[in-house]
Amino acid sequence: MEEVRITNADLIVDEGEKVQYIVIKLGTEQFGIDIKYIDNIIRMQSITRVPHAAPYIKGVINVRGEVIPALNLRLKMNLEEVEDTKATRIIILKLEQYGLIGFIVDEVKEVVTLSEIQIEKVSQDGTQNSDDNQQFVFGVGKIDNQLISLLDMNAVCSEK
Amino acid sequence: MDVSQYLEIFLDETGEHLESLNTQILNLEQNPEDEATINEIFRAAHSLKGMAGTMGFKRMQNLTHDMENVFTEVRAGNMKVTSSLVDTLFQTLDALEEYTTNIRETSDEGTNDNQRLIDQLNEFLNSKGEPVPEKKEEKAGEDAGSKAPEGEAGAASSDEKFRNVPIGETEQSVLTAAIEEGKKIYGLTVYVDENCLLKAARAFLVYKAVEEKAEIILSNPTAQDIEDENFELDFSLIVISEAPLEEILEGARAVSEITKVVGAEFTAEDLEGISKEGEEKEAEEESAKKDAPKEEKKESSQETAAPAAVAAVPAQADHDKGTKNAPAKTGKSVVNRTIRVDIEKLDVLMNLVSELIIAKNSLVSATNNDGATGSEQIDYLESVTTSLHESVMKVRMVPIESVVSKFPRMIRDLQKKLGKKLELYMTGEETELDRTVVDEIGDPLMHLLRNSADHGIESAEVRAQRGKPEVGSIYLDAYQEGNTVIIEVRDDGNGIDVDAVKKKAIERGVVTPEQADSMAEKDVINLLFNAGFSTAKEITDVSGRGVGLDVVKSKIESLSGEVSVDSKYGEGSTWTIRLPLTLAIIQALMVVVGGEKYAISLASIQTIEDVAPEDIRLVENKEVMTLRGSVIPIIRLDKELDTVSTKKPDENLVVAIARKGEKLAGLVVDELIGQQEIVIKSLGKYINKTTIISGATVLGDGEIALIIDTNALI
Repeated sequence: MEEVRITNADLIVDEGEKVQYIVIKLGTEQFGIDIKYIDNIIRMQSITRVPHAAPYIKGVINVRGEVIPALNLRLKMNLEEVEDTKATRIIILKLEQYGLIGFIVDEVKEVVTLSEIQIEKVSQDGTQNSDDNQQFVFGVGKIDNQLISLLDMNAVCSEK
Repeated sequence: MDVSQYLEIFLDETGEHLESLNTQILNLEQNPEDEATINEIFRAAHSLKGMAGTMGFKRMQNLTHDMENVFTEVRAGNMKVTSSLVDTLFQTLDALEEYTTNIRETSDEGTNDNQRLIDQLNEFLNSKGEPVPEKKEEKAGEDAGSKAPEGEAGAASSDEKFRNVPIGETEQSVLTAAIEEGKKIYGLTVYVDENCLLKAARAFLVYKAVEEKAEIILSNPTAQDIEDENFELDFSLIVISEAPLEEILEGARAVSEITKVVGAEFTAEDLEGISKEGEEKEAEEESAKKDAPKEEKKESSQETAAPAAVAAVPAQADHDKGTKNAPAKTGKSVVNRTIRVDIEKLDVLMNLVSELIIAKNSLVSATNNDGATGSEQIDYLESVTTSLHESVMKVRMVPIESVVSKFPRMIRDLQKKLGKKLELYMTGEETELDRTVVDEIGDPLMHLLRNSADHGIESAEVRAQRGKPEVGSIYLDAYQEGNTVIIEVRDDGNGIDVDAVKKKAIERGVVTPEQADSMAEKDVINLLFNAGFSTAKEITDVSGRGVGLDVVKSKIESLSGEVSVDSKYGEGSTWTIRLPLTLAIIQALMVVVGGEKYAISLASIQTIEDVAPEDIRLVENKEVMTLRGSVIPIIRLDKELDTVSTKKPDENLVVAIARKGEKLAGLVVDELIGQQEIVIKSLGKYINKTTIISGATVLGDGEIALIIDTNALI
């Protein structure tokens, strides 16, 4: 919706399939989410708590009259919870299995286009990445000397 | 032409006819001589055959044809309605149902010829008594055949409107050419039943039937007008054909809701007569008078009745008026004008109404903040949205009759299967529920009825011992109570054997023996709703596969309803299903707990009480209060909702008394906001149902309030 910068990634001419990713930040780490899942990105808004729900489910929000669950991506990824800032955003994803789900992230940075050769697949045994979250990461994208962990959102959602 | 666009209509109507046949045949078994029933059955069977035929479902048509033959004999009094005949007829209906299902799923009737049933039906036809069957049948056929044209001939000539059809030059030349080729020209006038809802579809089917045998040269009104339903109750066709007239007429008559089809052959002379445009009217007038003594009588009586001034009007004008008025009068059947609407369209409408209500609520809350500007207008808007909501809800309501009407038949089948004598009494079939609920309620009800028939009603010996009448009674009563609809399934059978249930529950490991001992009777009975629980001593194919009651329960709950059972051992059981009248929008009590807003369905709230803290007592470590003499448990919502009350312990408590069936409980809240109409939204698929929250609603200020499910709390 707002302040999503398009980088000049389109200038990179490369082989392989190109996919656009939204780059978000949790602390210092950057994560990429396939743009095909993105329904909407909104500013932080009031969240209604749902009693007895898992801790990472912060509650439900009202987006254009629809009631949508809001998850804290930090908690979901076993990171520490932080105070909301001006940059905090809720990314609304549309997943076939679960419908609309909102994810609270620290910041939404930009949209990048990655072609297949820019992505290093992460093997399942996790030799490349030792932290807990590697199960949610299906690959690491490299662009402008930055590393972006690409999230498998269905895996993020399915593991509870 | 493609018939697929009429498939849906066909399916709908077939369903209706089958349903009516089911009911009527059942009726016939009890009153084998009832003429009205027989006629009704005959009509339905005939329509079925016609419809199947025009849609090209030959197997279905064959089967209905034989069924119709049986009814012809029954109607003529040549055949007795026996129990075995009724059995075969029911099997036939089942087979037809199967065709319909196939057609619904694959647009094809399937390949089952049901030859066995056809043979069986024919056997009945052939063996029904001394008189040689073929002859009788022939006679009946003749009767019908000769009667129809006769009966029609009398009134027909004036009905032969096809004679008035103006024939243009091009058509004229085509027709003349055809006659020269030795083909025949026929004029047809088709009359559609005045109660017919889909005139255009009927006309289309007639078109199709006629086209099989003939080429349509001219239609009045035009085909386009007919398609747009731009005609009264009749239309005329001029066709070229090589087939005999009767065949074409037969085809057209086979279409249901066609009251009559008249036709005649045009000779070359006729054509010439018509072509002379100027003389046409006069000639037709003349011929009408000549051929139609009845019409004249009508006319003259009209003339005498009319005042002198009108009588002086030239006869022609009067005649025109007469013919114009006649169809108009019969055509306007104001009663029962219905229209089929796709349920999805209604859903859209419903959603829009929901949006409107949210918008209205936000206006209300906006003006509340600003002071009282525009409150009158808002009141007006409020009343409009409320009535709009009500009417949309009403549109979606259908009587449960469509579901329960199949039960008498089911009980009859069960009776044979179980070897018990059963009687089903139903009341309140006209009770209305939301269409979506009605569609879903059939299976649970069927389970309960089967359950009553199988487990409830005792065998004849036991009944005799207990001094009960030989025939076991099962009752199905439906009625509305406030905002809920209650459906009760009751029987005068065995009732629930609490000890047997306990034993079974322990055997299955559902409860420990100690638990069972301390359980109240009611709780034991509720164990029946556990998955995999069946107390039937032997498993029959009627019920007792261990699925059933738990499925009933979850189904009803998915419809936001509840089911409970009341039973007295040896006397019978009553299963009560409560369903909300509406699903999407409810009246709610808005409350505050721990600074958060919650909604509670107003339907479950009885009263609001102001209770002093010292009136709350502890019984077995549980908080209770006394309300008008009865002790009811207290539920502190702040604890249930995992939050902290903002009230001080010494302050008076606000207690909302909620009811679930016969149980009461006091819900402690911090503050009441008031009553509000809310739109129920689901929490989404991701958040698994947290038991005490049944949904959410968007408030006027855009905030979300969760809806508390009191049924889960109590």
